[in-house]
Amino acid sequence: MQPKRLQTIVSRQKWVAIAVATIVLAGVLSVVSPVFLTLSNFQAILVQSSVTAIMAVGMTFIILTAGIDISVGAILFVTSALFAQLMLVTGNYALAFSVTLISATVLGLLNGLLVVRFAVSPLITTLATYSIYRGAAIHLTGAQNIPVPREMGFLGNGRLWGIPVPILVLIVIVIIGVYILNHTRLGVYARAIGNSDRSARETSLPVARITVLVYALSGFMAGVAGLILLARVGGLQSGIGIGIEFTVIAAVILGGTKLTGGSGTIVGSVIGAVFLVLIDNGLNLLNASPYIYDMVRGAVLMAAVAIDRYSAFRQSVVLEARREARIVD
Amino acid sequence: MPRILTLLKTYPALVIVVALAIGFSVLSPHFASSGNIEAMLGANAVVMIAAVGMTVVFLAGGIDLSISTVISASAVISGLAMAATGSVALGAAVAVAVGLGFGALNGVLIGFFQLTPFITTMATQLIARGVAFVMSAGIAVKGTPFWMLDFGFVQWFGIPAVTVISLMIVGLAGVAMTQTTWGRQVMLVGSNVDAARFSGIHVPWVTFSVYLFSGALGGIAGFISIANLGNAIPGVGDTLLLIIIGAVVLGGTGMAGGEGSIGRTVLGVAILAILTNGLNLIGIPFYDQLIIQGVLIFIGTWMATRFGNRRDA
Repeated sequence: MQPKRLQTIVSRQKWVAIAVATIVLAGVLSVVSPVFLTLSNFQAILVQSSVTAIMAVGMTFIILTAGIDISVGAILFVTSALFAQLMLVTGNYALAFSVTLISATVLGLLNGLLVVRFAVSPLITTLATYSIYRGAAIHLTGAQNIPVPREMGFLGNGRLWGIPVPILVLIVIVIIGVYILNHTRLGVYARAIGNSDRSARETSLPVARITVLVYALSGFMAGVAGLILLARVGGLQSGIGIGIEFTVIAAVILGGTKLTGGSGTIVGSVIGAVFLVLIDNGLNLLNASPYIYDMVRGAVLMAAVAIDRYSAFRQSVVLEARREARIVD
Repeated sequence: MPRILTLLKTYPALVIVVALAIGFSVLSPHFASSGNIEAMLGANAVVMIAAVGMTVVFLAGGIDLSISTVISASAVISGLAMAATGSVALGAAVAVAVGLGFGALNGVLIGFFQLTPFITTMATQLIARGVAFVMSAGIAVKGTPFWMLDFGFVQWFGIPAVTVISLMIVGLAGVAMTQTTWGRQVMLVGSNVDAARFSGIHVPWVTFSVYLFSGALGGIAGFISIANLGNAIPGVGDTLLLIIIGAVVLGGTGMAGGEGSIGRTVLGVAILAILTNGLNLIGIPFYDQLIIQGVLIFIGTWMATRFGNRRDA
């Protein structure tokens, strides 16, 4: 009876699977390396995963509505370019921060409006805006590297009450995300839209408004993540954010959110992001070539979807068997 | 008049191609020169071949995000094989084999194990990228045979040989999609899986074959990239994904499946090729090109879905 209950917990709460995998991987790494199981390494891992994790919180909402946002890396790039440029010209933190976060939200909002207003799929829409935002960012900076003031380092490498600031930001973002997802209409409706767009429309949920808000939320998260990344790196570089969208999507999927929408958790996505960093950490401990990282990430992602598929298949077989047993009775 | 209307409904992208071609001919005297057109054709052979593969996957209702880095992986491994043996024929065979390998991996997982195409090919994309960079240690593969270096400049029938190859692939794929049972099966699987199943089509096999096909074309595209660039570059495919997908949807092939054609993709590739070439000629920097390209991809796709026929006549 006990293992069966465990199985139901794992299959109901999808994030439990990735949590178990993360703990197992952490266990293996702590055996391999004595430095692994230290508080500072633990913090370093969380700090490293903070940028992806924050973006994954926003992406979770989008994928819950059965959408996708390829442009998040470009939003991150263009808004951090804006921030660096504003700091260079005005030196006014309040102005730079507010303009950055507002423009990030607006760019996400634009994604949402395009998705809702035109009959072009989210993938193509955000692929197009990816190109536009990235071009706009390089236009803005003239492909130059721009340093940010030294005090910015606080946001990336500083500590508050002994805890690294990126981790605090991540915790706040997660709390906000979980609250919105589970306790507001936005979250509940987003899940409903992903479950069945048609039923959502038929029960006259504000599908368009929710969709737009969800993309705006993801844009905002990309803006926050961009500020932290900028602070950690110390300045704007032209390669920032390239390919990060796929890491973010991978984290969300590893966390148990279904790409077809309707089911998923924020905690899962965040653990997914941590898991990806743990893999890098482990490969680093093994002195593996950095080029292998991509291969391992790909293989892990493939294994995760295969396992998920297999468990869904097993479940359907069990259900089928039960149904047949009932008919025989 | 109605005939033109039908043509435009079948090929909604034609308007943009003609408009861009006329516009750039006016803006730049060099645009319509034979030398420039040749350069444009040659430079886009890789994208054309890969876009044909992506089109077939789209028509079957799937997506292949891995095709861009499969180009890289097959280029690198083929380049290494050629550097080691000096045999161009072996290099070509290796490139196709690598493409087939990745295609088969995608095909088995998506066709037979029914994994989601998006995630599966995203994973293969990472794996192929890793293979390309690990095998080449992150730098261009040296030792490309001289024949291969020359091949990038060879002309057949007055047009670059690489273009002839890409057009042959376009022709063969077009015939395969419209004139063979396989092509019809792919279209039916893409437009209505249940109908396909009920009419006795073995859906897993068709799905498998589609990814195998796009993998093989990714391999050929990788081989051609060596002829174009002179070396096998591990990062060659990294920036191509947007252009390949953009070309296919701009042409008017939908992502939902069963809607579109190889001919449409040729026009889609032409749009992006003319755009890049023309904007370079009139001196627009690459970052502004990215903006224009993004706007055009969005508007073009919207127009194609809005005004195009749902199916080729």
